[in-house]
Amino acid sequence: MTDSRYRFIEKLVSIAPLVTLRVLFGFIMLVSIIRFALKGWIYELYIAPVYHFTFYGFDWVQPLDGNGMYVVFVLMGLAAACIMLGFKYRIATVSFFLLFTYVELIDKSNYLNHYYFVSILSFLLILVPAHRGFSFDVFLKPALRVDQVPAWTINIFKLQLGIVYFYAGLAKLNTDWLFEAMPLSIWLPAMSHLPLIGQLFAQPETAFVFSWAGAIYDLTIVFFLLYHRTRPLAYVAVICFHLMTALLFQIGMFPYIMILCTLIYFSAGFHERLLESIAQILRRAFSLRTREGVAHNTLPLSLSKSWQYALGMVIVMHFALQLIVPFRSALYPGTLFWTEQGYRFSWRVMLMEKAGYTVFNVNDPASGRSWEIANWDYLTPNQEKMMATQPDMMLQFAHFLEAQYQAEGIKDVAITADAFVALNGRRSRRFIDPTVDLTKEERGFATKEWILPFDDE
Amino acid sequence: MKTQYRFTYLALLAVGLMFFGIACDSAGDNEEPLDPMDPPPVETFDRAGMLDNVANNIILPAYAAFQESTDALQAAVAAFAGDPTAATLVPAQDALKATRMAWQEVSMFQFGPAESVALRGVLNTYPTNTTQINDNIVAGSYTLGSIQNIAAGGFPAMDYLLHGEGLTPDEIVAQFTSDADASARVQYLTDNVDFVKSNTDFVVQQWAANGGNYVGTFLSEDNGGTDVGSSLGQLINAVVLHFERFTRDGKIGIPAGVRSAGVPRPKATEAFYAGYSVELAKANLESIGRLFSGVTAAGQDGLGLEDNLDFIEQGALADDIVTTLQESITAIEGLSDPLKAQIDDDVNKVVATFTKMQELVVLLKVDMTSFLGISITYQDTDGD
Repeated sequence: MTDSRYRFIEKLVSIAPLVTLRVLFGFIMLVSIIRFALKGWIYELYIAPVYHFTFYGFDWVQPLDGNGMYVVFVLMGLAAACIMLGFKYRIATVSFFLLFTYVELIDKSNYLNHYYFVSILSFLLILVPAHRGFSFDVFLKPALRVDQVPAWTINIFKLQLGIVYFYAGLAKLNTDWLFEAMPLSIWLPAMSHLPLIGQLFAQPETAFVFSWAGAIYDLTIVFFLLYHRTRPLAYVAVICFHLMTALLFQIGMFPYIMILCTLIYFSAGFHERLLESIAQILRRAFSLRTREGVAHNTLPLSLSKSWQYALGMVIVMHFALQLIVPFRSALYPGTLFWTEQGYRFSWRVMLMEKAGYTVFNVNDPASGRSWEIANWDYLTPNQEKMMATQPDMMLQFAHFLEAQYQAEGIKDVAITADAFVALNGRRSRRFIDPTVDLTKEERGFATKEWILPFDDE
Repeated sequence: MKTQYRFTYLALLAVGLMFFGIACDSAGDNEEPLDPMDPPPVETFDRAGMLDNVANNIILPAYAAFQESTDALQAAVAAFAGDPTAATLVPAQDALKATRMAWQEVSMFQFGPAESVALRGVLNTYPTNTTQINDNIVAGSYTLGSIQNIAAGGFPAMDYLLHGEGLTPDEIVAQFTSDADASARVQYLTDNVDFVKSNTDFVVQQWAANGGNYVGTFLSEDNGGTDVGSSLGQLINAVVLHFERFTRDGKIGIPAGVRSAGVPRPKATEAFYAGYSVELAKANLESIGRLFSGVTAAGQDGLGLEDNLDFIEQGALADDIVTTLQESITAIEGLSDPLKAQIDDDVNKVVATFTKMQELVVLLKVDMTSFLGISITYQDTDGD
């Protein structure tokens, strides 16, 4: 035990992998933020909508008025650039984490696994000294430089990535994925127009091959990356796998983030050579001379006992949550894909083809009149689409509508939902009990009894 | 030194590969001949053939017919404007109706060129704003198509001008001859028909192979997929959105009061002044039905969404859609024109029609898109 404790936590190892991770993470985040802004999504997702689906318990998180959201993104971009350059590192990582997480908490209709992943990575980056080599901080204050860091600072990233992959693999072990090749059986034939490989996607067997290969890849890739002999081949697999997903699906930056982050599994020697060659290019480009006389500080980073304890607790708590939270869905009755109770934050990635349509009916007992809501009067197409399959959002929206009517002086309306959902190649069926007055139902983590059961044939 | 550079090259190679991947995202035009040793290709649904049928045999002819009718409308209005009499009024009214009927065949294609000029909004926003129209006429200066005039132009404005509310033909003619603002009124009518015509000409010209060649873009291999920007994705999103909000809601639901707290709004019917709203709704739904089946206006059956569903063994769904479409048409046929009178008389019948059409929204928007792998979203996003 003490042996492995030493090996995985305390042992001093080269800082190089951590530095590469920092630079690449900062770089890809900067690219992502610029891309996000250029696509006009800051306006579309955070300024245009009149209503936002907040996370339960985070209703106080609201977007800023006016140009506030643009400022948030500019600051976030600056923070990402500072992380890449290793400039004012601690301030940069804390700012980036807070800004990014704030933006993600504004509206859960924008929730994506990879945004959650970015939040987590930026949080972990706060805890490690990734700026103490190959950085502006060191350039300005050479005494900061260290060549070696405790092994845990690198291993927490390997563990985090490992959890993401492995849990994503576990989530694929379900009958729809393995025995029906769903949803790939729907998605792949839609790609049959592609040159060269298009024909392949038209073949029904291909969906099965991809489903099984995807599950095996997710479950095992980390182990192949950890072992030095299989590592180069495993990394080729990483590149191929993620480029394939980038080609087939609209998943934005996620494949590129994963391709870059998995470099953390490579050896210290690899990263040292990588950084040294980049350093040489930079030195030539800016005609810098190698700094002479800088003592290579190999002293362990020193933290007081209580800080060590606090840091240890934070990391243990973080990983305990990481390991437990994805399984919380087991506490709910019913089919997870259908009810989506406990679906978010569990690395269930590209697992289902789900579409829905929800109509809210309002009944005013005072006037005896009934009418329908035009969802699009309040929601963006994307919000409406996300809500159509997710009961917690329907409930939130019903409460929002109730408040709207109360403000107009209609005191006690009943709101019911006519909802139909199609899941993984099955015909649509009724999703929500249409007799339940949603204004009487409370938000929370309790089981939503008004979701109709999913009776699979 | 040497090893160091090797790693740089490796890194550059990795970055290069990534950008290749990014490029492949949208492109994919590096076509190579198929290896003769490859197994024979599997049978795939001829999506390109379906798009070709839809574009060349349905959309383009529908636009051509619509353009012809606007030409005729312009001529009829010119005749009336030059000599406003009861005898020239009737042909102008008839030409307006013919154009509005032809419009029902193209209104759901609000993507590409039509979307770029917001064709549906500028030509057919109703109920029309009569106050704004009269103000415009008195003022004598206005920009048709501008935001404040969106409900004061196009067909609904011409509907008001050429029919009036409860006016006899002589009274209408008088508005264009002896009223204080008669000549300004003639001008407003003429400006409107010119406005309709120029927007229509623009869209038709943009679609034409020898013009803006949007048809080429629509049929290009790059847009042959099913993602949000693909031709099929755009077509289905446009048609489903149109059916949901402009056929079901606009033509039937809103007048029946489903969007106004249950209080009917008969004035919100399409063609309120002329009173052939039900006829227009029926024509619109029928043309959506033909599009689904791949049938041309002349009755020629080609590849359509129905065939696509059949091919992927969802014939039962295709049948359900056809049946529900027919039931919706039957329900509309059960309503009588003018729709305003029908609403005053028996609004429940109108609400029942709306409910029947709602079933069709579920089938088209949920089931059909789900089976075809089409993303229903009118905006581009990342998924996970």
